[in-house]
Amino acid sequence: MASNTEQLRRTLQEAVVKCSERCLYQSAKWAAELSNSLPETPSTSTSFNSDPDSQMQDADLPPSVSTFLSSNPDPEEARLEAQELSKYLLAKSYFDCREYDRCAAVFLPSILARGPLTPTSPNAKTRTPTKAGKGKAKESSPNSENGATPLSNALPRLSQKSLFLAMYAKYMAGEKRKDEENEMILGPADGGGTVNRELVGLARSLEGWFADRAAKGLEGSNQGWLEYLYAIVLAKGKTDEDAKRWLIRSVHRCPFNWGAWLELSGLLSRFEDLQKIVRELPQNIMTVIFHLYASQELYQYTETTHHQLNELERFFPESQFLKTQRALLFYHSKDYDEAESIFSTLLHADPHRIDGLDEYSNVLYVMAARPKLAFLAQVATATDKFRPETCCVVGNYYSLKSEHEKAVMYFRRALTLDRNFLSAWTLMGHEYVEMKNTHAAIESYRRAVDVNRKDYRAWYGLGQAYEVLEMHLYALFYYQRAASLRPSEPSMWQGVAKCYDMVDRPVQSIKAYKRSLVAETYYNQGSSFGSSATNGGASQGVLSPQTLHAIALLYEKMGQLDEAASYMEMTMAQEGPGEDDDDEVRGPGTGVTNATSQARMWLARWEFARGDLARAMELANELCNDSVEVEEAKALIRDLRARMETGRSPS
Amino acid sequence: MSRYLTPSKIGLLALISLYTESVVPSAATIPILSFLVSHILPVNSAASQHTSSLQARHVTLAIEDFQKATISYVSGRPGRTIWDLLLDKLWKINSFDALHIFFDTLSKLLQKPPDEQQQDAEDGTESKSNHIRLSRASPMGSFVRRAQLEFTRLQFHDGVTLWRKFVAYRAPTLPQWKKRNQSADQISFDANLQEEHLNLGDRLTDVVYGELAHGAGHGASMSTEDMEKLLEYQIDQMQRMGNRLPQAMKAKFRAMLDIGVTVPNLSHYVAFLDAWRSGDYPSSFDNLHRYFDYTMHNRDRTFYQYALLNLAILHADFGCHSEALAAMQETISAARENNDMGCLNYSLSWLYHFGKAHPEEMDDIQKKGVLGTEKEALAFLKAKAKETSMWGLLSTSLLSEAKLALSSGDSIAQAFESIVKSSHLNVTKNVANAAGSQMSMQSSIFGRLGVSCQAWLSGELFLQCYTDQSPVEDVVHCICRSALLLAQRGKYDDALTRMEEVDEETLRTLRHSQYWTSNLGLIKLRRHLHRNNLVAADMILAQLQAPPNLPQDLQFAIANLEIDLNVRRGDYSKAMDILENLASRLIDGDADVFQRIKVMTLKARIYSKVGIPQKGFSVALRAASLAHRARLLPALWEAIGAVCAILISLKEFSAAAKLLDSIMPQTLECEDCNLSAQTFSLLADAHMGMAGQTKAETLPRKEQMTKALDNIGRSFDEFSRIEDIKGQCEMMAKKATIMHLNGDPVLANDCAAKYLDIKRAAKDQR
Repeated sequence: MASNTEQLRRTLQEAVVKCSERCLYQSAKWAAELSNSLPETPSTSTSFNSDPDSQMQDADLPPSVSTFLSSNPDPEEARLEAQELSKYLLAKSYFDCREYDRCAAVFLPSILARGPLTPTSPNAKTRTPTKAGKGKAKESSPNSENGATPLSNALPRLSQKSLFLAMYAKYMAGEKRKDEENEMILGPADGGGTVNRELVGLARSLEGWFADRAAKGLEGSNQGWLEYLYAIVLAKGKTDEDAKRWLIRSVHRCPFNWGAWLELSGLLSRFEDLQKIVRELPQNIMTVIFHLYASQELYQYTETTHHQLNELERFFPESQFLKTQRALLFYHSKDYDEAESIFSTLLHADPHRIDGLDEYSNVLYVMAARPKLAFLAQVATATDKFRPETCCVVGNYYSLKSEHEKAVMYFRRALTLDRNFLSAWTLMGHEYVEMKNTHAAIESYRRAVDVNRKDYRAWYGLGQAYEVLEMHLYALFYYQRAASLRPSEPSMWQGVAKCYDMVDRPVQSIKAYKRSLVAETYYNQGSSFGSSATNGGASQGVLSPQTLHAIALLYEKMGQLDEAASYMEMTMAQEGPGEDDDDEVRGPGTGVTNATSQARMWLARWEFARGDLARAMELANELCNDSVEVEEAKALIRDLRARMETGRSPS
Repeated sequence: MSRYLTPSKIGLLALISLYTESVVPSAATIPILSFLVSHILPVNSAASQHTSSLQARHVTLAIEDFQKATISYVSGRPGRTIWDLLLDKLWKINSFDALHIFFDTLSKLLQKPPDEQQQDAEDGTESKSNHIRLSRASPMGSFVRRAQLEFTRLQFHDGVTLWRKFVAYRAPTLPQWKKRNQSADQISFDANLQEEHLNLGDRLTDVVYGELAHGAGHGASMSTEDMEKLLEYQIDQMQRMGNRLPQAMKAKFRAMLDIGVTVPNLSHYVAFLDAWRSGDYPSSFDNLHRYFDYTMHNRDRTFYQYALLNLAILHADFGCHSEALAAMQETISAARENNDMGCLNYSLSWLYHFGKAHPEEMDDIQKKGVLGTEKEALAFLKAKAKETSMWGLLSTSLLSEAKLALSSGDSIAQAFESIVKSSHLNVTKNVANAAGSQMSMQSSIFGRLGVSCQAWLSGELFLQCYTDQSPVEDVVHCICRSALLLAQRGKYDDALTRMEEVDEETLRTLRHSQYWTSNLGLIKLRRHLHRNNLVAADMILAQLQAPPNLPQDLQFAIANLEIDLNVRRGDYSKAMDILENLASRLIDGDADVFQRIKVMTLKARIYSKVGIPQKGFSVALRAASLAHRARLLPALWEAIGAVCAILISLKEFSAAAKLLDSIMPQTLECEDCNLSAQTFSLLADAHMGMAGQTKAETLPRKEQMTKALDNIGRSFDEFSRIEDIKGQCEMMAKKATIMHLNGDPVLANDCAAKYLDIKRAAKDQR
């Protein structure tokens, strides 16, 4: 175990160095955090991983993982890397200063024709590389995307590391420009239509490069980083399947690049996709972590997932990442107290950590814990007030205070800081719905969905917004999407059902309502009693009277009165046995609600119509006692009396 | 630095809400309310002096002040003072969210707007609690509303900053709070910390309340609004009083401004004023431009004309007259364009006074006819001032009118009428800072009329009553003036101590210190001249002539003394040269009559000194008639003295004696020792001459001789009062001669010995 851990630690450290060499900061951070969450082993490791000044000790460690630069086992690559070391350092420092174009230019002398999105750009292939192009044979391969033009590798001969850095810098430069062109959030230029203009050039050169490698039979010595970059480019071009393929290739070559896994999980839209893909993945610990993460993202809060998480935590007992995943699982299963306590311990352990605080704030929002949410916002602001997560926390706080304008302001700020910050788009949509600005809400939700197609809240929000606009058929589509993402969430199904009802398809509507009832019971089994705060009175064994009532009404509409009556009875039954004082006795029933009393009224009338006057009288009297519609009930009683007095005539 | 809200304002709000909860018993109502109101009401610069200074003193309100104001009053709840309740209220704000709730609930203190009231009346939900509702427009109501609005405007992190400051502000009261509330402890300032059982050393606490946990308190927390208030007060003081920032104050301001990120624009203006007063020309320009660059368009008003106005005054102050005039003309046209009557009138009046001070620069303006002739200009200004009810301007215009009347030799009564009018205005409209110029005007009129004691009295009156509220410039002038009067009476030491009365702070302003040193120099120069200490006098004179841009009257006095110096040296031709030079400058019709007469008299006196008195006859006579017309009595007596000297030289002794006899009482009234000494000496000469015309050894001769001796004695007394060695010696010599003539050698010898004694004493003193 100990040696295993040690080896894992070493691998992770190497991964950190490699990622930071390629300026993949987030991946480096992730790997470093993970490596530090490994349990401490006695002897060597104490000074090795916790001491920041460990370079001194590094020298006498035999395997010598240089903290500055990683060594490359491939002799050819190592030779190239050694050759271009000074240029590489220059490029890296440019990248660190965010001078992306300049960084790219160190290695790629203006060769990638960026610019318009014309499918082919003749310049790119006619112009030969000015500097390093001498020995490069122009091999061509059939182009899969735009088959007409053969592709040549126009890239200079470089080590893969430098090449990756240069290309990545190009990509980043394009992203930066794209963001600049978008201007204001939801402004006129921010239609989501702007694209990264570097993509075409990058895709073509990378393709050429890969073809070249393949032709030379060097594919085996590819390092995986360029594959990762290529996959990103492909994913941006909406060719998901290709992107997935290349990502899988990449994670085979270098499994410790968390960014690649993230991309991969972003491309999965259903749990089935994940199951399909798992078989193609390498068998190592990263796959397990990925599987866990993807399951969480796809709302698989099942026992197996928890089990998986337990397994992983044996390896990484201190990992904040894994703890966050656990908290999110609890959050998805609506166990808010549990999620809150995990988040709270995380916050105490590392108060400067802002990652995931937005999720924490969502939990607090649902729990309506205002002082705590304010405190959380205070903590986040103290660390960095210009992080999208911080802005989201603050926005959530204002939203909870019903100051929607301010909330929108903060969500917008979050988006200005990072346009791909998904939860801000969704939350902003919610705020716009609150402010009755449906069009802005729809746009926000749409952008959220564009960033991440797994966000059921955004889909649901879209549905709601269209429902407000009375475009039910449209809304139906979105509700369906939401319901397919969260089949266990009753409100999704209720939305679907309502829309079906509106577009006059009662059969489907009834089906959807029934699904919602099923989902409800599922929840009641799955979660503890205390977490039911949001769900009204959905306590154990009790179904939502509103849903039952709605089903009953639908049956009535379809003319199946017996069915309707039985559902009305069910609705009424949800009041529970002790229906004397609705507020004080919180037995297993819901007590008298609007829905149940309406059901009772309906039943009373129905009985009246059927001629069962005694039962009608009984129901009407009950109504008079504790219902909302006393006047109507009294009128009914009067009718009943009149009918009874005139002799028991048949109905 | 927050814009408006500070922890102390939260304290005030809490106190207000306590007040509305009707727990303040009626005995404490008035003190509590007045405490509140004195901190809520905005500083009103138009209000009287005392309130504004009071406000400035309380610009930062410590928690101890709350304690002092409230602890002595028992509240409506048994066993609790109002301070206890206030503490309770403050400590109940135990998280940032609670602070939000506190501000949200503030609206419950206010009366509902009318439509909501109506709604309530319809719904019948009128609350019957005994809460006081503040009217929305009342001072407290508007304070509450403003605070609420400002809180809504706060960005989240600004809110957090306010909260942390509030926690720090409240922290010292923890022990007191603990007494009433046992469960309170170190971290009860935030409920969230308490809930999680964190302590001060915890990492999370450290992130959120870092500096609090380490005990590093903030300084006085100020809001930008407080700061602006303070700066406004400062500017008001500086502009009204014309003094500089004291050093300690400056350091404090700097420290305050260093805390905040947003430097209020006004601070540039303060810097400008300070640099200006200290005579730092380039940096005052720099700061003026900086200020107006930042505020050119502020609150939808343009301040271009004010920028120009300041620029013009600045230019003028540093002696760039033509630039100043150009800037002022631009100001006038800008003010006209923007319809800013206040600015326009002020600049016109400034232009008028500038023209009075520097007539040579005004040709251009005269030609363009911006102001017309002086009288027209004054009439225009008066009318305008009355129109826009700028009483200060009207008052000064009236004074200018009086001055004009005096200098052009119009009737005295008319001048007095103007002065009285101005005085009436000052009193009825409470124009406190115009009192100085009015009093000094009065004093100078009395001086001109030769009623020295009245002149002295008005000066004293001003110093006694108006020192605190008048521009420092007026005070300095008045002190210098009275010192000069004292020196004229020969009370040099008194004069010097009077000069020392000027506040040291005042002299940090360049202009004031220049004026003050020049006057001090004048007094000393005169003393040295009288003591015949010519080398020292020469030195002082050189120093006096060094600084440029002295006021014209000072320059004239210096030239006068220079002539005197040369006369005493016996260098008459040089004295004459200087005199001619001086006279040629005064040839202009606009020059002050007093100076012209003075020059003429001096000329006549020099002629008589060099032994050709008849040459000065016409000059002396003209001087006398001019002085008579202008009611410049001291000058008139002096001129008559010159005429008498000529008469004596023409052997018209009895006429001279008659003339001198008749002016003698009024001369004495002037309390000018030099003048009376001279006159007595002349009278003695006249009597001596008359004695010479009678036969020897007769009674009339003896009589005349006795009279002459008597007058010589008086003249000697006057001379010795002003320590004039030469005059004393002369008198002694005359006396000795007369004694000798009388055939009394012993007495003559005595006098001669005295003569030598005086000379020796003077030499020793040197």
